[in-house]
Amino acid sequence: MEQRPHIIADTSRHDPAGDADFSRILLKESPDAAIVLSTTGHILHWSPTAEAMFGFSGSEVTGRLLTDLVVPTEHLGEERQILDRILSQGGATHESIRRCKDGTLIYAAISGKLVERSQDGTCVIVMTQKDVTQLKVQRDAKLVEARYRDVLESMPDGIIMVNATGRIVFSNTQAERLFGYDAGTLRGTLIEQLLPDRLRAQHLEHRSHYLGQPRARPMGIGLELYGLRRDGSEFPVEISLSPLKTEDSTLVSAAVRDITERKRFERALQEKNLELAAANQAKDRFLANMSHELRTPLNAIIGFTGTLLMKLPGPLTSEQERQLRTVKLSAAHLLALINDLLDVAKIEAGKFEVTPAVIDLTTVLEEVATTLQPSAEAKGLRFVLVLPATPVVFAVDRRAFSQIVLNLLTNAIKFTDRGEITIALECRSEEGRQIVGVTVCDTGVGIAQADLERLFEPFSRVGSDRERMKEGTGLGLHLSQKLAGLIGGRIAVRSVFSQGSAFTLTLEEPPR
Amino acid sequence: MTARVLVIEDHPPSLDLVRYLLVATGYEALVAEDGLSGLALAEAESPDLVICDIQMPGLDGYQVLARLRANPRLASIPVVAVTAFSMVGDRRRILEAGFEGYIPKPIIPEAFVAQVTAYLPPERRIALPGTNG
Repeated sequence: MEQRPHIIADTSRHDPAGDADFSRILLKESPDAAIVLSTTGHILHWSPTAEAMFGFSGSEVTGRLLTDLVVPTEHLGEERQILDRILSQGGATHESIRRCKDGTLIYAAISGKLVERSQDGTCVIVMTQKDVTQLKVQRDAKLVEARYRDVLESMPDGIIMVNATGRIVFSNTQAERLFGYDAGTLRGTLIEQLLPDRLRAQHLEHRSHYLGQPRARPMGIGLELYGLRRDGSEFPVEISLSPLKTEDSTLVSAAVRDITERKRFERALQEKNLELAAANQAKDRFLANMSHELRTPLNAIIGFTGTLLMKLPGPLTSEQERQLRTVKLSAAHLLALINDLLDVAKIEAGKFEVTPAVIDLTTVLEEVATTLQPSAEAKGLRFVLVLPATPVVFAVDRRAFSQIVLNLLTNAIKFTDRGEITIALECRSEEGRQIVGVTVCDTGVGIAQADLERLFEPFSRVGSDRERMKEGTGLGLHLSQKLAGLIGGRIAVRSVFSQGSAFTLTLEEPPR
Repeated sequence: MTARVLVIEDHPPSLDLVRYLLVATGYEALVAEDGLSGLALAEAESPDLVICDIQMPGLDGYQVLARLRANPRLASIPVVAVTAFSMVGDRRRILEAGFEGYIPKPIIPEAFVAQVTAYLPPERRIALPGTNG
């Protein structure tokens, strides 16, 4: 043992009056905390300056373990060694982090000494603790400034460096500007000062947790983070954390970015999206209502025309019957027009959903042909279906595909009075991609060269009024071309006036 | 005894049309222009079939169906929706709600009675010309 315990206790009463006063002043007013511990580490005496430094009153702490009160968990091991050294070597001095009653961490310079009491020869530990937090900040600041100042000032983000007690040791100009502080005035303050009140307690918790396992990461993933300016205003921030090891401790560097603009942008986008969704819904409702309102009166028109033609109320003259058939045809035409218009409106509103499924196109063509062959043959037309010998498997929306073929075939039959209707499926491969073509060919009236260009426009007037009478809604080809676009295809036409037309729907496998 | 069919429909021309088609075929038609009076009529008359519009002021078709189903005496009466809601998805929505049948407007007058007859108990059906019923 280098040091023998000194007897210091119980000497004051032998001293002159003036010295006793100084001893009392020293004990009460010394800037350092004075603590007396038992050799087991229990608190026996706690000076008023210790009360001031740690926030615990003497009556609160007497008899309790010092380590339970002011030593952070991660420093308990180190504290145990120091106590052992005091007991075995008579004294020790070190610097460490202490926790105050309110959770604040401070740096303390600690000296402990083993003392033998005069009355009974038992030993106690006399300890002084000096708050060196600001000194430590200055040391850390000096170190950071000397090594990293230029690099940190060149960063576009606000950079704030904090030591293990949560005090700011460095802030670059960008950070000071972000938070509204004059140069250098942030040094030594607690990082929580830059946070809104409501977030401080939580931050303190996260901060000590971070020091337990420091690594570079963004802060508060999934949380809304806010900074507090000096003038009391808040702003949303994004923060990245990274640890910086120095010789004697770990500093934490926080890169702070003001994301007010981005938030505003996000909010504006969100609002726009809501508006769009509402407008879309309104459009949906309008289409549904329009469909409902148009069909309701048509129900009575078509219905009662039907009951009359069924002669349920009584017999009809032939002229009455002829006129009622015209009403019936016109009503059916109007209904077809409504259906086609709604389809076009749905396609244009992006509401016509296509779901590609792998199907055998030859089967679909056979079905469509079976539906329409009777009406072709009723007009005395030859009906020819040309299909490959093997199934043609292709991914396409079945409803759209068969509707297009149905439309083309209906047109061909309508505009052909003699000859034949041919429907052919061809299949080839280009650069490994499958390409299929469905061609509907007729020997009908044909289309004049001048009319070909406008053929797919809605209500394009092709041919005479009399021929148009036979036409459907004037939307069939327009709708078919739009449907073809929806399933990634297109319709092309070749025609010779008064000889016939050939419409080809081409579908290409999308590039892989 | 011929079947008795309750028709609930707020559009008078459509109500008249359905009533006319049913009576002309030989069925007895009970008519109501709104859901509440339709339910009262169902309660009083226990019809063999209910034909019901969907969009109506007051109780709509779905609510009428729910109240019929909630009444033990009326719960087993088949209910067919006749509606001008005939866009993609309407049929599925209506059948999923529990209607036995769905007939879109405009109805096909030549086929309507046969469509409706299919929902009647066999002994209450009237044989229609051109059908095996």
